[in-house]
This record gives sequence, C-alpha cells and structure tokens, in this order.
Amino acid sequence: MAGIRIEHVTKTYGSLSVLKDFSLDIADGEFVVFVGPSGCGKSTMLKILAGLEEASSGTVHIGGRDVTDMAPGDRDIAMVFQNYALYPHLTVRKNMGFGLKMRGTPADVIDQRVANAAKILGIDHLLDRRPKALSGGQRQRVALGRAIVREPQAFLMDEPLSNLDAKLRVHTRAEISALHHRLGVTTIYVTHDQIEAMTMADRIVIMKDGLIQQIADPDTMFRRPANLFVAGFIGSPGMNFLRSPVFDRAGVPTVRLFGREVALQASASLVGRDIVVGLRPEHIAAGAGPVTFEVQPRLVESLGSEKYVYLDVPEENRTQVARIENSDDEERPTDTIIARLINPDERAIGKHITLSFDPAHLHLFDAKTEIAIQ
Amino acid sequence: MKTRSLNRIILYASVVAVCAFLVFPIYWLFITAISPPDQLRALPPKFWPDVPRWDVFAAIIRERPLLLWLSNSALAALGSVIISMAVSVLAGYSLSRFRVRGGQSLGLFILTAKMLPATLLVIPLFGIFRSVDLIGSLWSIILAHATLIIPFTTWMLKGYFDTIPRELEQAAMVDGCSPFGAMVRVILPVSAPGLAATALYGFVLSWSDYAYARTFLTNAQTNWTANLGITTMKGEYISNWADISAASILVALPVVVIYLFLERYLVGGLTAGAEK
Repeated sequence: MAGIRIEHVTKTYGSLSVLKDFSLDIADGEFVVFVGPSGCGKSTMLKILAGLEEASSGTVHIGGRDVTDMAPGDRDIAMVFQNYALYPHLTVRKNMGFGLKMRGTPADVIDQRVANAAKILGIDHLLDRRPKALSGGQRQRVALGRAIVREPQAFLMDEPLSNLDAKLRVHTRAEISALHHRLGVTTIYVTHDQIEAMTMADRIVIMKDGLIQQIADPDTMFRRPANLFVAGFIGSPGMNFLRSPVFDRAGVPTVRLFGREVALQASASLVGRDIVVGLRPEHIAAGAGPVTFEVQPRLVESLGSEKYVYLDVPEENRTQVARIENSDDEERPTDTIIARLINPDERAIGKHITLSFDPAHLHLFDAKTEIAIQ
Repeated sequence: MKTRSLNRIILYASVVAVCAFLVFPIYWLFITAISPPDQLRALPPKFWPDVPRWDVFAAIIRERPLLLWLSNSALAALGSVIISMAVSVLAGYSLSRFRVRGGQSLGLFILTAKMLPATLLVIPLFGIFRSVDLIGSLWSIILAHATLIIPFTTWMLKGYFDTIPRELEQAAMVDGCSPFGAMVRVILPVSAPGLAATALYGFVLSWSDYAYARTFLTNAQTNWTANLGITTMKGEYISNWADISAASILVALPVVVIYLFLERYLVGGLTAGAEK
C-alpha cells in the first residue's frame, strides 16, 4: 500500500491537449474517483498512472518511488479494465495467477493466494472455467480477483461497472466499497457516473476538457460546487440554473426569480452583476415557504415516493448555460427546471401549484466566469 | 404457408444445383482415374466405369516417384509457411498496434505487392537465384513462395490482430509482461484460429504453385514438386489421363486432410469471453 503523487502531468497528441497540468496527492489507502464526461481526460490520466500511456510532461510517484519512466509491470499496481480483458485462453485460476507467475512467485504460493482471493469474491467454484463460460458479473469478479491476488500498492479501475446491468451495478458497487474497506489498498476509480463517484469515493476529482474542476469529498462537492460545471454534474436530477441581474433593494443585493424578489445572503458588491442562481430540485418544496411562487407544471413524473415536476422558466430567468451530458440527467431544455417533491400531497399537483424555496439553499455563480460566488 | 414451402424448395434446389456444379469436376477427375482407358472418351459418357480400376493409385506410386514429389512439395510449402509466418506475425502485429510515421503507407505498399501477378516476378527472381546459385534448389521456391505469401498473410494477420482488444496486452503488461512477452503469451495463443487459417492459406498457395517450380526446378529432377512432376506425365503423343488423374487426386488429398483437421480452428472464435 502506498500514497500516490501526481505532479504537473500533461498529455498532448500533436496539437490536441487532452490533459492540462494535472496535480494530485493521494493518501495511502484512499479511494479516489476521477469523474467527468467522456473525453475529459480521466481515462488518459489512469493509463498514465498505469504506465500504459506516456505523459508528455510531469512526474508520477507511487509509494515514494518515481515511476514516471517505469514499465507497467514494474509499478506494482493492478488494473481492472472496463471490458475486463480476461485472458480467454486461460482458466479463471490461471487468469488470476498470471501476474504472480510473471513475477516468479512459487506455484504453491500462487495457488494459495488465488484460493484466498476466490473465496473473498465467492468465485471459488469457477476456478477451472474459461472466461467465455462465465456471466458478465462473474467475469467482473474474476477481473477484480486478478487484481487483488497481486496484493499491489494500488488498484486502478477503469469504469469497471459500466458493462453490468443496473441492478448488478448497484450490488457490485457496494461490494467494491466493502472490498476497499477490507483490504485498505489505495484505489483510483474512473467513471462517468456521478452516482458511483458520490457513493464510493473518499475524494472526488471532477474533470472537464483535461482540467481538474474540483477536488473534494462527496459532501463538499454537493454542497459547495466550485463552478457551474460541477454544480450541474453532481446530483440527480441536476441543479436548476436561473439567470438574473443583481440589484440593490434597501442595501441588500436582490434578484428576481419567478417574478418574486429574493434577497441574497451575499456581499453588496454583487449589485450590478449578472449571476446564475443554482437551485437543487430537492430544495424546491410543495406549499408555502420563505419564497413562495405559483406555477403551472408542464409535466409531472411520478416515481412513487417522489415526483419530478417540470416547470417553465420565466423568460427573464432563462440562461444559456450549456447542460453537460450527465449520464442520468436526460436532455433538459434551458426553459425548464425540475422540482423534486418528496411524498407530495396528491391535491397539490393540480392545475396550479404552490411551490417554495429557501434563499439559504441558493448557489450563486458568476454568469461570465461560471465560478461560484462564496 | 404455401409460398414459404415453395421458397424452401427453390432454395434447396439451388443449393443442390450449385453443389453439383462445384463437385462435378472432382467427381469426373475421380471417374477418369478409375476408368479403363477405352471408356474415357465413350459416347454417351459413362458416369461409372464397368470395371473400376482401384489399383491405379498403388500402381502410380510404384511406377512414378510421386512420393518424392509430394515430399518436395511438402518441404517447400512448410519452409515457405514457416518463413512467411515468422515475418508476417511480427509485421502484422506491428501494423495493427503501433502508430508509426508512415506506417499507413508502408502497409499500403505491402498491399501493392499483392497486386503484381506472380509471373511478373519469375524473371527477376530467376536472375537473383542464378547469381546466388539457388537454381535447382528447393530453397529457390521456398523463398519465391515466401515473397508471394508474406504480403497476403501480413494483411490477414493485421486484420485478425485488429479484432483483438488492446486491453488484453495492456492487462498482460500490467501483470508484468514486456510488450513482446504480452504478444507471445497472450495475443498469439488467442490468435490461434487466425494463425491457423493464415498458415493454411500460405500452405495452399505454395502447394498449388506451378510457375515457379517449372522455372527454377526443371533441370533438377530429384527436387521436382508434385505439380511439376504431374505435368511431365503428359506425353507428346500419348497421355495416360487415368494416371494423371490418379496422381492429381493424390496431390490434392493432403490439402483436403489439413482442411478437415484445422476446420474447428478456422471457424472457431476463441476470443469469445475476453470482453464483457
């Protein structure tokens, strides 16, 4: 086990820069998730860590050793691939023991470690099968098993759950978390799914266009997103964005949302600036509250215990903030926001409904720089 | 319902017709071999001889050095396949995996070598082999066949390697293999069906050659290949077509046997299970 230090790593292909100055310190035993939309550079960074791609500049240290120029096999890491990459011509037993065999481990030690790992993962009855005789979930476990028998300094996982069906994904997600607690090995996990990131990570590194947007633990990421991108990416359904100029009302910076004047708990220097106000769907409540407004829903989706209410945004509040493709947030037009009402009163979902929110829950972003205003 | 069974009848009838069309020459070769000479040109033709001459095969092996010719053909084919595979496995793998400046055009250049007719190379190759004293040696056709086979097999193998996910060798490298080790320990075993099909293709190409053998080996009777040998059985005035047909069947047999033996590799998909 070991910490990992990444310093000023960049990666360019010709004139295309896919990774721009990536620096990160990962503590021993930490579970770090790289998350972001496809093409953000997260998989490239993982491959550089594994030694499968060369960094254009910068250094990588694993366990205090500079491994920047080392071959993948010399870095003492294990990797789980998105498509598992099991060796189809070898049995499960030999698949799992392959890495140890390459390192000249005695056969009896290999056998024992494979047996132990297989027991942990509940695949001890599959050891003599070939990968093609396994189900998707079983292959996934074998891929995990191949990583853990090596007892490496770090696990690198490249979207290991994306080929599983939804139910199995949730199950395996919990298992990987449990496995991490049990083994305590430093783990770097790449995904495009913010739910995986939120549920598994000690710390999340959220990326876009080769740049780190924010590094924080899941709660901080959710409560204090650093910019509009992070705010829209984390959370499901994604945060609602409303645009408004800030004006002065009796010395208090104020915005107009849904035709109501809303006093902001923010510095007076905001007055005169254009801002984007973020409001999470779950922070809109049915019935009256600190700021109450009436609207006619465009659409109501019921999920049983909760309802998603789609609302038209008044013209003056519409913003052109590009919604980032979020794996579980469908295309949402800029003139619509969502309210997520938990166990709403059926009578409340009529023609006109009364909704409210608390200004304390508003997130403020500069409309130009898209950076959060603290 | 009625049109469906009619369709089925038409389908089966076409299959039978096409098969009959393809199999008939082989059948006729066989009939020619076992027919007495006077029945070969009988009109109307006889589709099965009155008295089949089953001993024709044993006789031809006794009377002609057919076994020597066959072993020469086999040596030439094996030699050219071994050389070709050694070169084209590495070349095909490199073309498939490494992005080198000019790699694409190099690949296309190899492809153009496939477009040259084999006979075009006979004269220059003859000149080269004469200057290094290889005319009459089996090595001449081994090398000549290899020059024909390598462009084909390189592209066949490149195509096959392209279908194997890169993650397999990446996993092997993370597990401690060198890039070459990953190829040998993981990619080649996984490619067994592709390797078998490619080698077989090269083998058949060499086995069926006549032009090179005729040019390089004519004056060295002990090195004649089967195809060259059979053509010498055709006399200027009298040709014993039964003998020639029998010899042809014996020459075709090894290839048929190899096909039967390797069939499961040729159709098998060993990579199933590597990915999700």
